[in-house]
Amino acid sequence: MKVIPVYIEAGISGFESPAAEYRELNLSLEELLLQHPNATFFGLANGRSMEGRGIFNGDVLVVDRVEHINNGAVIVANFNGCFVCKIIDTDNALLLSASDEHKPIKITASDDFQIEGVVNVSFRLHKKLPVLLSCLG
Amino acid sequence: MFGLVDAVSFYARAEKVFDPSIRHKPVVVLTNNDGCICAVCPIARKLGVPKFVPYFKVKSFLAKHGVVVRSSNYELYADLSERMMNVIARYSDNHYVYSIDESFLHFKNFSCVANWHEYGHVIRKAVWRETRLPVGVGFGETLTLAKAANHASKKLSGFDGVAVIDDQASRKEILSRMSLTDVWGIGNKLGKRLSILGLNNGWDLANQSPKTMRGQFGVVVERTVNELNGMPCLKWDEIGQDKQEIFSTRSFGQRVTDDHALKAALSSHASIVAAKVRRQGSLIKRLVIFASSSPHDDNYYKKSVIYEFPIATDNTLKLAGAISYVFDSIYKLGVSFYRCGVGGVELENSQFQQQDMFTLSVNNPPLMKCYDQINHRYGRGAVEVAIAEKNEKWAMRRNFLSPRSTSNWSEIPKINC
Repeated sequence: MKVIPVYIEAGISGFESPAAEYRELNLSLEELLLQHPNATFFGLANGRSMEGRGIFNGDVLVVDRVEHINNGAVIVANFNGCFVCKIIDTDNALLLSASDEHKPIKITASDDFQIEGVVNVSFRLHKKLPVLLSCLG
Repeated sequence: MFGLVDAVSFYARAEKVFDPSIRHKPVVVLTNNDGCICAVCPIARKLGVPKFVPYFKVKSFLAKHGVVVRSSNYELYADLSERMMNVIARYSDNHYVYSIDESFLHFKNFSCVANWHEYGHVIRKAVWRETRLPVGVGFGETLTLAKAANHASKKLSGFDGVAVIDDQASRKEILSRMSLTDVWGIGNKLGKRLSILGLNNGWDLANQSPKTMRGQFGVVVERTVNELNGMPCLKWDEIGQDKQEIFSTRSFGQRVTDDHALKAALSSHASIVAAKVRRQGSLIKRLVIFASSSPHDDNYYKKSVIYEFPIATDNTLKLAGAISYVFDSIYKLGVSFYRCGVGGVELENSQFQQQDMFTLSVNNPPLMKCYDQINHRYGRGAVEVAIAEKNEKWAMRRNFLSPRSTSNWSEIPKINC
């Protein structure tokens, strides 16, 4: 079959979208979830002690180093050379879990302890991504 | 008022940010290919670990003292550096990033700052809080004095990370405790020549006559003397002058004997040089291309060739072409190459390029812009001239690399719950 191309004539240029003037930047997850991008890092939750606060094994924790630390906040800390995610009890110097199976941990002077930041946001991938699973190894 | 903020043993401290298990341990960082020690954290320094010695020479010493050894994790350092600079930038109206871990600040009309010492601590605390990197802060009436104050803030006893030179007393105190070579712009050679004249420290240098210094050592030392006396001579935009030469060079992870591999390595260096040249808006007139075996080898072989472009260029393809053109005169069968590199040694400003009536420009700014943008977005090497294929033989050896915690999802830190 031979095809004879017929070019569309100029003149049919359509109509400008009435919404064109209302176009904005697309939604950005970073803008929504990161309050202090410069002072934020990501970590991967490992363990089940924070399930009561909705943090499950393999969730991504968004750790904000600038956010003010209130009593009862979910924090990430360096506890004796390990990053841990717990609830901070500033009144009693305790690290609390959100699970009945884990006892509170008393922070004593002999412990190496520094708070790294506050976890106001964590998120879960309902379909696990291999790229994230590999850090749990 | 000028300020200089810089990180305390940046590479070694950066390693500790995302690895709490080594925060209280001695840490050293090795250079490219794990060759030498290039950074020593304060704990390791106390053990007496020297800087800039080959790793293999101190390997057993490090093992005996439980020193943590890391390869250079440039991905991590670049990110932490950017974060640190972002914090610092908030505290002045004008700043200049001088190197990966230091930034100059310029304060004009900052009468709101009543106490510079306190202000320095505000900056330090903010950087620590947001990045977990310790910094030293120095203030002075000139860039050289700010640099001196910064030195004092970290190295001299009695300072707690902040030092201010704002009057005669503080100037004398700090400068008289600094060796000549600690003064900005005074290198080892110059330091030796000055000490022959009987000068012992920065304060002695400050008290020389600028005219005499100029006669004996040139205008640079004259300016240093004036700067040490609180008279600004270095202009803000001069410290950030474009580089006059741009090199990319490295020793191989493994020796290379194959001509194709050497050509690939040289082409990759050429492509790095071209990208750097474009970033500062320069063009290359002359390109030096070299390769050598190790000076410790029996038949030391070194060959260096200069290629001159008819018209200065920043075009990666033209640089790769130059490599191919001179390659046969560099490569020699049987030599096991240890090192190679490429350098732009005569650079021109692309804004003021002299056009040639009879030669068409070989530059292709739209193509190069596209090339840079793709590599910026998808990582270096996403697009590359075909000849510069990645070859494991000459890729950097980094046997002690820590995770790229902030730039790679599969390497983010694990947090125990």
